[in-house]
Amino acid sequence: MKHGPLVFLAAFFVLSTSWFGFVLKPQADLGNAVQETNVVSTALYPQPRPGQAHQGAEVYRANGCFYCHSQQVGQTGVTCDVVLTAPGTNLTAAAEAIAKANPALATANLTELMKKLPANILTNVDRSTADNAMKLLKAPDMKAEVHIVPIGPDIARGWGRRHNVAEDYVYDWPVMLGSQRVGPDLANIGARKPDANWQLTHLYSPQGLVKGSTMPSYRFLFETRKIGRVPSPYALQLTGDLAPAAGYEIVPKPEARELVAYLLSLNSDAPLYEAPFTTPAPAPAQTNSIAAK
Amino acid sequence: MFMSAAVWLLVSSLFGLIASIKFHSPAFLADCSWMTYGRVHPAATNALLYGFAVQSGLAVLLWVFARQGGTPLIHPVLIGGAAKLWNLGVFLGIAGIIRGSGSGFENLEMPRYAVCILFASYLLIALAATITLHHRKERELQPSQWFLFAALLWFPWIYSTANLLLLKFQVRGVTQAIIAWWFSANLITVWLALVAIATVFYLVPKLVNRPLYSSHYALFAFWTLLLFGTSTGVPFGAPTPAWMPALSAVATVMLIIPTIAVLKNVCGSIHGDCAPLKSNPAGAFIKFAMPAFLLATLMKCAASLPHLNAITNMTWFTVAQSHLQVYGFYAMTIFAAFYYLAPRVAGFDCTRFAKLHFYLMALGVTVLVIPLAIAGIKQGLMLNDPSTPAVDIAKATIPFLRAATTGELLIALSNLVFFINIASMAAAFAKKQYALLCSGDSCETNLAEVKA
Amino acid sequence: MNQEPTHSHQQTEANTGQPAVPMWLIGLMMVLLLLGAIYFDNNGGWFDSNVYAPYHNSAELDRYQLPSLGNEQVVLGKRLFEANCALCHNTDGTGKTGQAPPLAGSEWVNAQGSYRIIHIPQFGLTGPIDVKGQTYVIGAGMAPMGAQYTPDELAAVLTYVRQAWGNKAPAVTPEQVSKVRSELSSHPQQYTVDELKKLPEQAP
Repeated sequence: MKHGPLVFLAAFFVLSTSWFGFVLKPQADLGNAVQETNVVSTALYPQPRPGQAHQGAEVYRANGCFYCHSQQVGQTGVTCDVVLTAPGTNLTAAAEAIAKANPALATANLTELMKKLPANILTNVDRSTADNAMKLLKAPDMKAEVHIVPIGPDIARGWGRRHNVAEDYVYDWPVMLGSQRVGPDLANIGARKPDANWQLTHLYSPQGLVKGSTMPSYRFLFETRKIGRVPSPYALQLTGDLAPAAGYEIVPKPEARELVAYLLSLNSDAPLYEAPFTTPAPAPAQTNSIAAK
Repeated sequence: MFMSAAVWLLVSSLFGLIASIKFHSPAFLADCSWMTYGRVHPAATNALLYGFAVQSGLAVLLWVFARQGGTPLIHPVLIGGAAKLWNLGVFLGIAGIIRGSGSGFENLEMPRYAVCILFASYLLIALAATITLHHRKERELQPSQWFLFAALLWFPWIYSTANLLLLKFQVRGVTQAIIAWWFSANLITVWLALVAIATVFYLVPKLVNRPLYSSHYALFAFWTLLLFGTSTGVPFGAPTPAWMPALSAVATVMLIIPTIAVLKNVCGSIHGDCAPLKSNPAGAFIKFAMPAFLLATLMKCAASLPHLNAITNMTWFTVAQSHLQVYGFYAMTIFAAFYYLAPRVAGFDCTRFAKLHFYLMALGVTVLVIPLAIAGIKQGLMLNDPSTPAVDIAKATIPFLRAATTGELLIALSNLVFFINIASMAAAFAKKQYALLCSGDSCETNLAEVKA
Repeated sequence: MNQEPTHSHQQTEANTGQPAVPMWLIGLMMVLLLLGAIYFDNNGGWFDSNVYAPYHNSAELDRYQLPSLGNEQVVLGKRLFEANCALCHNTDGTGKTGQAPPLAGSEWVNAQGSYRIIHIPQFGLTGPIDVKGQTYVIGAGMAPMGAQYTPDELAAVLTYVRQAWGNKAPAVTPEQVSKVRSELSSHPQQYTVDELKKLPEQAP
């Protein structure tokens, strides 16, 4: 090639293809995402993080927590469960229907099964099998449901109920997905460990709470100070080796409290169109008949 | 520019060493907020990438443009000033990261003020380089020049896009992560490879005194590297629509093609005659860099294959691969370039410690990459087993991380040797210049490349 | 110092070799591209931005959507109620003394026919109103809060109100709302309770 401009054009053209693919198109598709309706409740999702949690995201970023912790739950598949919620008025017919839907249960004690509700008729099947089973579960007043259950190692660990999607990060800046899992994934830590005191103590001394942890301690987020007239309500309750000297208390600095508020706000459990799953039944509400469903 | 690149390399390896130690001794320097892992690690990578990699790459680019074009560098003073500006930018950026102003995007952690300085400096250097190219006496462009010219364009586009869309006109949601990944892939897989391949295509013919094996291979490698390398960013399992990781996986596997083309070209040029490579210190570095390139590409391809990506995703394996790419391939090639051109610039042999440097670096890279890769695979297998508690996974990787720290230590030592080499060369050169001046002779050399 | 390298430069680089790229390499590239295309076809969701791994395409995603609970209207109505009406009537329909009468257990809400109740959010209400034995007077009356909604939306809100908090009244259809809305031209202002009482329970 003789010409400089030719090289320039070649490079320009090729780079523009990836620019279109990975910068322009994602921005066009996802860049104007707004809140979606959670498909089963009436809440809008996601909710912007309240004040302290928003500041906590800055502490998370400044201290580079995402270099060891990811915030993206993965999912390797999806299955269905067929669940019986009401056997209906005619128990014999119900037992027959159940045996037809799942031949493996024909020899089981179906009366016991029908007493302990909700009962799994079929577990880990695909959608067509589940639908076929539903067609067979027709007895008078019988009620059964198909539950959508995401599966994967992350989900089996309890790191989340479904995989994360773009909608989960709409209100985050910067989006700190993380690329390493030296420590557990934090996408749903707010649901998994909602105890603020646990989180604070863990930041102060990870090895104190989790034996053998390689996480460094973040004591610079805490202050050791003399107890004043009364102990601070925010002071950490520490025992044994971790406890401060007599007359001193360990008080989290505002950054620590903001960081913990942020961690407690991390919860991406809402079912969405692109990430459907059956939420576990909530506790029956007192005033609203919808929630009792 | 090489001098300051060497300084930053040393700085980065020190940070890297600290970061690496923290993994198996979490209490090491934990109480100081400046030295927490989350700040030391990005400081290390940014110093490595921007302080060392890009800067030394630009130095090699300027050399090749000048030599293959047959003209001296235009505006050396401009380049020298721009290089100082670059160093200022890197320094401010690292200071910002340590202070806690890191941006939160991997490989893009430098705060806004540093980014602007770096970008301005780059534009000045690119301007000077383009003018030099324009004034070349040999009108036909050599393969190395294509690669470098493309690289010259590539960096400002990806850097400005990424920083504008992430720091200034903040895009919403996961689009930020996509752009950050796009940038990282284009910087490490494309830009560094462009510069390193160009350097190899330049050095090997010089060392063996034979022409480059095939310009068609070079052209093929050029196109395929650009086309495939640029789309490799999005990792498996990302919370993005499925087409993005799928496209990236396909592009990553295709990367084997330009690698084969480059290797065939280099092997063809050597044509079995390895003796010249053995005698020149630069040759040793290239002999390490080429297999490292192949291995790094194979690791990357393997990590993208359908069932393997579930194991290597988000583990130390990806870290090992990128270390091999940057340290094993790119840095080695740059060192080769340095040991080739430094004597030509300084006019005397300054490769005293080159052998020591090489052995330390080669050993260090091996001891760093292999344990990390094994740790990554182990970690991945354990992550995929839901019954293993997370803390056990971390504990299982500790022995490998200790080994990797040894590797980092060796690399840090080798960088120290490199720094001593350059410093002594620069000192001797300055003494010689002074002596010449005092004796009334003038000497035309490319000052910019050495003193900057 | 500049002379020696230039000479070899001309010698070594004047003619880079010309062997062409071998067919096996091109062939390998084609094979990999083919495999890649097959992989993308299976796993790429064909650029649909709703398809995330592990779903392979949008048809599969649709198949795994949650079964409809049959209560979309009420779900929508609840959201709209909580957005606009709950401010005065409370989320549990108990109303606020001095501001808004309760809706839970209200005879106006629980009337079999929906004709009267549609008028209240559609046109607004002025003057005192008796609900469950208590009189409620608000200064400016109730604004026509439901006029901004589409007939579907207003029907949803009213259906929710008529079936929540222990209320047991039939649902409201969008057609009934449209019918009431068509009276806007003849009576654009707020209704008073007396006018409401003059209306029949069922739509004429």
